[in-house]
Formats: sequence, C-alpha cells, structure tokens
Amino acid sequence: MTYWFRQHRYALAAALVHLRRSPGGFLFNILVVAIALALPFTGVTLLDNVRPMSEQLSVDPEISVFLKQETPREQAEGLAVLLRQTVKDKQAKIVFTPREKALDQLKTKSGLADVLTTLGENPLPDSYVLKLDAFRNAQAGGDVDQLAEEIRALPGVDTVQVDSAWVKRLAALINVLRLALLLLAATLGTVVIAVIFNTIRLQVMTQREEILVSKLIGATDSFIHRPFYYTGALLGLCAGGLALGAVTLALRPLNTAIAEFARLYASEFQLAPLPPLAMAGLLALSAGLGLIGALLSVQRHLSKLN
Amino acid sequence: MIEFRNVSKQYSPDAMALRDVSFTVEKGELVFLAGPSGAGKSTLLKMIAAMERPSAGHVIVNGQDIAKIKPSAVPFLRRNLGLIFQQQRLLTDRNILANVMMPLLVTGASRHQAELRARAALDKVGLLDRADSQPLALSGGEQQRVSIARAIVNRPQVILADEPTANLDRASANKVLDALKAFHSVGVTCLISSHDEQMLDAAARVIHLNHGQLEVAA
Repeated sequence: MTYWFRQHRYALAAALVHLRRSPGGFLFNILVVAIALALPFTGVTLLDNVRPMSEQLSVDPEISVFLKQETPREQAEGLAVLLRQTVKDKQAKIVFTPREKALDQLKTKSGLADVLTTLGENPLPDSYVLKLDAFRNAQAGGDVDQLAEEIRALPGVDTVQVDSAWVKRLAALINVLRLALLLLAATLGTVVIAVIFNTIRLQVMTQREEILVSKLIGATDSFIHRPFYYTGALLGLCAGGLALGAVTLALRPLNTAIAEFARLYASEFQLAPLPPLAMAGLLALSAGLGLIGALLSVQRHLSKLN
Repeated sequence: MIEFRNVSKQYSPDAMALRDVSFTVEKGELVFLAGPSGAGKSTLLKMIAAMERPSAGHVIVNGQDIAKIKPSAVPFLRRNLGLIFQQQRLLTDRNILANVMMPLLVTGASRHQAELRARAALDKVGLLDRADSQPLALSGGEQQRVSIARAIVNRPQVILADEPTANLDRASANKVLDALKAFHSVGVTCLISSHDEQMLDAAARVIHLNHGQLEVAA
C-alpha cells in the first residue's frame, strides 16, 4: 500500500513539476478545454433548473367531465360511482362541482359577476374533475386519453376535456432538449479528449529523453505512463472547475434579466447553480475525459518509443 | 552470469552486426570489449540490456534468455544492470543529485532513502560537493562519473559501459576507469567496451570483435 501510494505521489509530483515548467501552455490548454466544457455545463444547469418546474407541471393530469344541462342532480351525483369504476384501480381524486358552485367561482375569479347576473339563468353544467395520481409521468398521457374515451361513453356526459396534451408536448420538448444536450456534450467531450490527446502528445515529445533514460534504468511502463495520466486528469479537472465557475458567475446577470421577465408573470423564478453533488459529478466527468485523452495519447505515442 | 551462445544479429540483409558469437562472463569478472567502430560492441552490450534481441542464438543474463524475455520483465532485468553510455544521457532539466536518484525512485524507494543513497554514490565517484550542480555545469569527465554514480546507485550485479572514456582526456579517462575498477573490486561484474589501447593494456581479459565476429575470447 505504501509502495502504491508512493508511486502515485511521485507521479502526481512529476506531473505538477512538468506543468509548472510551462504554466502559460497549461493555462491556455485549460482555457480551451474550459470553453468546450462551458456550453454543455450551461445546458445541464438550465435543464436542472427547468426539470423541477416541468415535473411540477406534469403531475396530477386532470380530466374535466362536463355533464349535459338536463341531467338531474341525483344522476349527476350518482355518476361518481361509475367514474370510480371506470378509473378502476388507478388512484384518482374525483371532485364533483355543482353548477351553482361553478357559477360562484366564475363570478369570484373572472370579475364578470355583473355580466353573469344579467344572464338570469345559470349557463354552466354540473361537472367532475378527476385528478389522476397514477398518471404522474407524461408517458402515461396515452392512458389518460383512453380513459377519457371511456368516460365520454358514460350516460349524462356531454363533454370530456383532457389536459394531458400539453403535458406530452412539454415532455417531448424536454426530451428533445435533453437529446440535443447529450449530442452537444458528446461532440464537445470529443473535442476535450482531442485537445488533451494533443497536449499529452507534445509532452511525450518534450520528455522523450527522460522517458528513454527511465526505460534504461528499469522504469516500468506504468511508472512512465502515470504522470501523463495525472496531467490529463488535472487538465480536465482544472478546466471543469473553470467552466463551472464561469457558468455559475454567468447566472447572476442572467437572473437579473429573468427576474424582470418572471415578474410580468407574477413568478419569482430564478436560475440556481447546480447542487454540490452535481458539480462534483461534472468535475469527475471532466477529469475522466482528461484521463481518457491522456490514456489514448500515451498508448499511441509511447508505444512508438518502444 | 552472462552467456552468449552462437549469437547473431542481423538488422537488414546486408547489415550483419554480430555473427555466431559465443563467450561467457563469470560473476565478478572485469571484461573489456575491444574492436574498431562498427565491430558490434554496442550491439552486444545492448543485447545484454534487452535493448536488442538476437536474430539467432541465445543471450543468457542472470539465467534469463533475452530472446524469450517478456517485455514486462525487461525493467526488472535492467534494475540489476548499471548502464553507462558514451554520451552520458544525463537529464539537463534537473541537478545531478536528482539524476542519480532516478534509478531508486523508479523502483519505489522513498525520496529520503533515494537521496541518502544518491549522495553516497556521488561520494564514491568524488562528486558529492557537486550534488546540486546542473549537469551542463560539469566537465565531460565529471558528467561521465555522474553517469557511473547513477549506474551503481541501485547496487547492480553487472555494469555495462559503452565507450565510457571515448570523449575524455587522459586524466578524466583514468578517473572514470578507476571508478569502474573500484566497483569491480567489490564484486560487481563489469563489461566495458573500449578502443582505448592504454585501457586495454591494463585489462585482465579482453574480448576482441571485428565485423561482428569474435576474434579472441581470452
């Protein structure tokens, strides 16, 4: 264990010594890699902020059931049993709204009380609202549609309004964004690997004599390769840190603009930085990309020295 | 300790470096390899360090056949060999102490232990007071003595020196030779290639090579 730890400490120290010798080049490489990482990190941050909102919107899809005007109240109230049977084992909250209550609500919320009073007769029907816990995810939108068809066939039902369409649209949009982000991340991840691959290639060329001498004095391949792996991982880690820092800083001016926009919709929506665990994950991913670039470069270029 | 059995090395159809060479070097021997440039001396030494593989025959070093040795075993073979080159191959981006510490660090020795032993090795070649100097600040003879210190710091069983005095003046060459003899006197097997007549005159055993063939294996 001590031997293993010592070997890794030596490799890390060797990597740091070589980076310190050309700080300008190292910083420039960090900058290039950070720029490539900043774009997908921004996307991840935006998605992470939008996701809870979309989840909140997609829960409890509702089916509004409007009964025929001439339906007697007893039949209307009795429909609850049929609705419960139609919903079957799916957990659903079924709320009956008598036409009188609906009118009162309309008067209160719409500000059209005077206009509605002049109508004389209540134009609103009795209605039910089904809140379906079993359809929390948007993929179940199809099931909601099928259920709506079954309810439509019940006696006394005039209109059935399903509000799952927008849930499906939103979910589809988020899926498209997620896929686009994945493709973008894959492309830019390849760019990161290519940049680090080239950086390590140049280091191998610079340290050619040291590598050859090390081989002659009995260094194993892993001893020679390890500092390059650390260099790649460090480069990825530093670039990841810089990219995350830049994205977090960019949220401030963005939030100022968003706050003004959200106020128009009586919302206090703000973009928040990623949680620490997600940030740690992205840093690990950046270091991993650096390591992959270094691995590929070392395998290719050091094998030539053999 | 080192055995060449009908060894040939052919780089290309018209470039035969060694032809059917056979000899043995026993443990603790001091053997000189003599011959003109292109005789095959360097190729022979490279084979012992597994830097080259024979085209035919067997090179046995410490019981291991170089023709069959696995690449992963080569570093461990080399840790028992001290290699000294005509061009010293010191790393100019670090001081001579760091250069001498390298063979120990690659074997996993602690930095503290490596420094102690490197200083002791530099002391043996008379360069302890130059431990913190850069290699380029040293004369050719001093650089060669540093490379000897680097070769012996790991306490190898065999020292292979390829023309270690070729670019040195007589005084420096003598110091290098004295250092090598000192290590031989404590039981280290030494195989030294040279075309320095004065050096060869003082040798107990000389193997002569010419055009890749053994002329005299005394």
